[in-house]
Amino acid sequence: MFNTNRQKIMDRTDILNQEWKTRRIQPVHIMTSVGSLRGTREVIPLKTLNAVASVPVMYSWSPLQQNFMVEDETVLHNIPYMGDEILDQDGTFIEELIKNYDGKVHGDRECGFINDEIFVELVSALSQYSDNEDDEEEEEHDFKVEKMELCEGKEHPEDPPALISLSVCLSVCLSVRYKELTEQQLPGALPPECTPNIDGPNARSVQREQSLHSFHTLFCRRCFKYDCFLHPFHATPNTYKRKNLENQVDTKPCGLDCYMYLVQVSQRSFIHSFIKYHSSVNCCSPSSVSVFTIFTSIKQMGGKNSSFVRGNSRCQTPVKMKLTGEAEAVEWSGAEASLFRVLIGTYYDNFCAIARLIGTKTCRQVYEFRVKESSIIARAPAEDEDTPPRKKKRKHRLWATHCRKIQLKKDGSSNHVYNYQPCDHPRQPCDSSCPCVTAQNFCEKFCQCSSECQNRFPGCRCKAQCNTKQCPCYLAVRECDPDLCLTCGAADHWDSKNVSCKNCSIQRGAKKHLLLAPSDVAGWGIFIKEPVQKNEFISEYCGEIISQDEADRRGKVYDKYMCSFLFNLNNDFVVDATRKGNKIRFANHSVNPNCYAKVMMVNGDHRIGIFAKRAIQTGEELFFDYR
Amino acid sequence: MSGASCKANGAVYPASSAMMNSVKKPKMEQIQADHELFLQAFEKPTQIYRFLRTRNLIAPVFLHRTLTFMSHRNGRTNAKRKTFKVDDMLQTVERMKGEVNLPLFIPSQNSENEQNSVSLEVLLVKVCHKKRKDVSCPIKQVPTGKKQVPLNPDSNQTKPGSHPSLLVSSNEFEPSNSHMVKSYSLLFRVSRTGRRDTNGLVNGEANENIDVTDTPSRKKRSSSHRDEGETTETFVAQMTVFDKNRRLQLLDGEYEVSMQGMEDSPVSKKRATWETILDGKRLPPFETFSQGPTLQFMLRWTGDASGKSTAPVAKPLATRNSESSSPMETRTSNHRAALMTVKESVSTDIQTRKEQVLCEPRQKLRIFYQFLYNNNTRQQTEARDDLHCPWCTLNCSKLYSLLKHLKLSHSRFIFNYVPHPKGARIDVSINECYDGSYVGNPQDIHSQPGFAFSRNGPVKRTAVTHILVCRPKRTKPSLSEFLESEDGELEQQRTYVSGHNRLYFHSDSCMPLRPQEMEEDSEDERDPEWLREKTATQLDEFTDVNEGEKEVMKLWNLHVMKYGFIADNQMNQAIMLFAENTGAHIIRRNLCRNFLLHLVSMHDFNLVSTATIDRAMARLRQIQEELPDIEEEQQDQTVVSAGACNGNAVTSTGGKQGKRTKSALTD
Repeated sequence: MFNTNRQKIMDRTDILNQEWKTRRIQPVHIMTSVGSLRGTREVIPLKTLNAVASVPVMYSWSPLQQNFMVEDETVLHNIPYMGDEILDQDGTFIEELIKNYDGKVHGDRECGFINDEIFVELVSALSQYSDNEDDEEEEEHDFKVEKMELCEGKEHPEDPPALISLSVCLSVCLSVRYKELTEQQLPGALPPECTPNIDGPNARSVQREQSLHSFHTLFCRRCFKYDCFLHPFHATPNTYKRKNLENQVDTKPCGLDCYMYLVQVSQRSFIHSFIKYHSSVNCCSPSSVSVFTIFTSIKQMGGKNSSFVRGNSRCQTPVKMKLTGEAEAVEWSGAEASLFRVLIGTYYDNFCAIARLIGTKTCRQVYEFRVKESSIIARAPAEDEDTPPRKKKRKHRLWATHCRKIQLKKDGSSNHVYNYQPCDHPRQPCDSSCPCVTAQNFCEKFCQCSSECQNRFPGCRCKAQCNTKQCPCYLAVRECDPDLCLTCGAADHWDSKNVSCKNCSIQRGAKKHLLLAPSDVAGWGIFIKEPVQKNEFISEYCGEIISQDEADRRGKVYDKYMCSFLFNLNNDFVVDATRKGNKIRFANHSVNPNCYAKVMMVNGDHRIGIFAKRAIQTGEELFFDYR
Repeated sequence: MSGASCKANGAVYPASSAMMNSVKKPKMEQIQADHELFLQAFEKPTQIYRFLRTRNLIAPVFLHRTLTFMSHRNGRTNAKRKTFKVDDMLQTVERMKGEVNLPLFIPSQNSENEQNSVSLEVLLVKVCHKKRKDVSCPIKQVPTGKKQVPLNPDSNQTKPGSHPSLLVSSNEFEPSNSHMVKSYSLLFRVSRTGRRDTNGLVNGEANENIDVTDTPSRKKRSSSHRDEGETTETFVAQMTVFDKNRRLQLLDGEYEVSMQGMEDSPVSKKRATWETILDGKRLPPFETFSQGPTLQFMLRWTGDASGKSTAPVAKPLATRNSESSSPMETRTSNHRAALMTVKESVSTDIQTRKEQVLCEPRQKLRIFYQFLYNNNTRQQTEARDDLHCPWCTLNCSKLYSLLKHLKLSHSRFIFNYVPHPKGARIDVSINECYDGSYVGNPQDIHSQPGFAFSRNGPVKRTAVTHILVCRPKRTKPSLSEFLESEDGELEQQRTYVSGHNRLYFHSDSCMPLRPQEMEEDSEDERDPEWLREKTATQLDEFTDVNEGEKEVMKLWNLHVMKYGFIADNQMNQAIMLFAENTGAHIIRRNLCRNFLLHLVSMHDFNLVSTATIDRAMARLRQIQEELPDIEEEQQDQTVVSAGACNGNAVTSTGGKQGKRTKSALTD
């Protein structure tokens, strides 16, 4: 046995050495021969390996480059282990900890041993042994009894305590429950509130809101992602107002069969006259007014102008007649119909475009379908009439007041900074009741208020680097908003790191390369790869965003461990880099640090930037003042 | 006393000795205790540096001459490289072949001028093994030749080849007759007759040179030998060729041997010291070269006929271990006793040689090492005309180089340079900030565990790409950089070497970072894998979102995470990129309508224009047409993928049914 093993080792080493020889690596020496195990003296070359210093302890964590919001934990996930000594010394600590979570610790099943999943699994496993229904019933019955014994004294959702020995009743209950559970899982069956897949075979014809419901509710307008990690509450878009009417009716017919030929013949003269009238009344540009807007507004204006009522009735009748006469019987699938309703809400009566997007119908068919559906379709929103065109002078004044306001805010207010939440109070200006105003935040582009809102931050108009207090963004401890600050370069050069604006590093993630090594001070430390200038951005301090309450609970454990990655973000939230974070979490505390932290408002989110306090050389360890 | 250790000498010359006498006894004790502490403080680093010096001599990690501030140690220039041709090598080899194949010895006839020449006799001394009856080792002296050599020749005039040369046959080194020869050495005997040159008297010292082949040999005579008579002066010097271990001691090269008067002829081995006695006074080893008579010669071994034993295989340093202690010193020897102390003794001679000092052609640079401990000067040691490093005896030749070397190589001490009218003062104190941390290439420690500092020969290391030619802007060397800085404290605390002098680790695995991994930041992805998975599972948890929507949402989320879009005005671009990157996938998975819904939804949020929707859909159609045989399979696929989709959705959400609903989100 030994010798065969030995032989194997030799062979392997030979192969290794052969390979290493070609790469000129020092070969491995093994003792040349063992020979017989008895009697002979054996010589073994002694190879000493250099001692390798052990690295500091590191608890596992997940890398992250952007904050991640998590909910409060209602149960204690685990009872922290801190060595036997501490447990012995301070038994009350764990008790208090559990008390913080109302005595709930993860792993304590609420409903005994069996939950729905296990139940279904169990039944289906048992049903393999029974061929007919009766057997199954029996099995279930038996099983029930077993279960009763098992969960003695514990409350089970499926067995109310009143039923003590009515096993027949119970088995019926259970079989009902089993059917409920299994029916849910039939392929294709979806909960009733779920819209069927528009690309699937079961697509149904539904309303626009229903088709877009998932997209609207899950989309985060701030992260541009669905069900984002950072913003638990998303505003739906229906309250967003269209900034400009961009719908342009194709003026040219898209083909020989274009619906325009239908409309043109009968309505050209009327439309022209209408547009003339309309433009005199309202200041719409004729091109932006869609054909159906005209129709509908005609209907509405009917009361005002009797001649138009007459004109309307006179003109529309032949059109309708014509359409009904020519309409082909086309089958509209559910998906197509749904899609049409979606698109009509966006394109209004640009039927050519709608037809192009649907792909399977011509614009004439679309037009005909439109006529059929005319009752339910929303009209294109009219332009905001209550906002008169603003003068540039006014805008400038607004900006000046803003700058003053920023100054005031900075001097007057206390250190309390509240989290930003987009405001949504339709038909009410942002006054003292607006949550943004009360929280002393500016309204952002995500707010539902009008873009002329007094509380909106106007952005900067710097042509420099935005790294002095000359820049209103810098002064307000905000990063430049690429949608507001259009002159400083914050909105240019997306793919390069060379941005003229120096006040947009956090959002762009323009962090420095950091290297991890055992610290010169304690535990791990973080070291910079390349030298940086004073005030240069180094990295964002990322982590989980937790509520202040949650931070208090977690902090208790961290304090015991003497190792905390908590960082106050604002009055509402705390960043905790314990479980998720980025490398800057390893920066140690110092009273004489080379970095400083700054909480900045970055496109509506508070984020923590770590900046250089002085010029930092290659390979220096980074410190900042935790206090 | 002879330079055994710095520390020992330090104790001999306390600078505060005068002070010590003046203070009272109880203080004496305290001072002595202090002094003891001082010695202890300096002892450890000194011993470490002595050890490192030795190790560096045996197996150098680097050569001092390659350092920029030691460039003068590099004897050769690279001037020839420009005109170098491969053929030249052949010529050189051919020329070498032409040489006689026996040990060649060189001093010889030049002129018989009585004033300008002396006669040199070279003897081969064989020390044989004792035989039973012998009391002492039998010594055989074999004369190899006698030549007239010029005295103090003008080095400019001497032409190569015109020098007298002597040849020692290799046969002499063969084991001979009855006696087993223990060691071979060469004995030079120079005899000179006639009166001394008046010139010499005036100078107080005659610089007489003996010319030997290429190298002129210079013979200095001490002024104290001012005997007027017509006496014959004889000077001798002995050099070991093979020691008793039959190791070759004399390699090819130029030698300068200090000669001694016949009366105190070669010191016997038993009395071997590193010092030379001249005029009854002990001379420190290297003073003999400036004070006493010397002989210069060039030695060359020719041919390989002399066999293995004579082949110059021994490393220069092998001499270090040789037990034969020849009283002579050669420049090739690496023995340099601690000079600072030895020099001290010179100062006693100063009175007698005053006139010499005055007329010494070059001025002697004095360096005062002032050892500070607890901010008190504890000892001052003077080194005269000696720019050797006191710790590793490296000849730095220049004050700047010395200071730079001290500062860089002996960082356990702090050196401060203070200009001094007679030369320089160097304040030496213990570097309290020295933490012994490794300042070399961190990869050397970890990349080759076990092999890193292998001294068994060259070992392949992990390949590291370095810039080989680097010409940084160097400030002109100036002594001012060693002056004590005004706001020095901070500067002192920071490590002298900046940069990446430590080993870095991967933040995810805690594995050492290999040099080739330094450049890319492996942990900086915006979309780490776990986050990509997380967003997918999070969407899968929804019960009221259908599988087509989920799939498009996942694709879009991954797209946004990958590119990290931050601005509204990037969205049009983002959509087009999305269509470009995932278009094919969307078509294959039959998600076109969901994709369109996504676009419309984006439009509802005011993020994209209808023009973008049009363009994105047009691009999708285009991709669809480019896709091979998608048309034929379209129908089947629709069914299959939809079915698969549903199946997937169910299996993946099976365990999470009812976990989340979108309607709950908006509440």
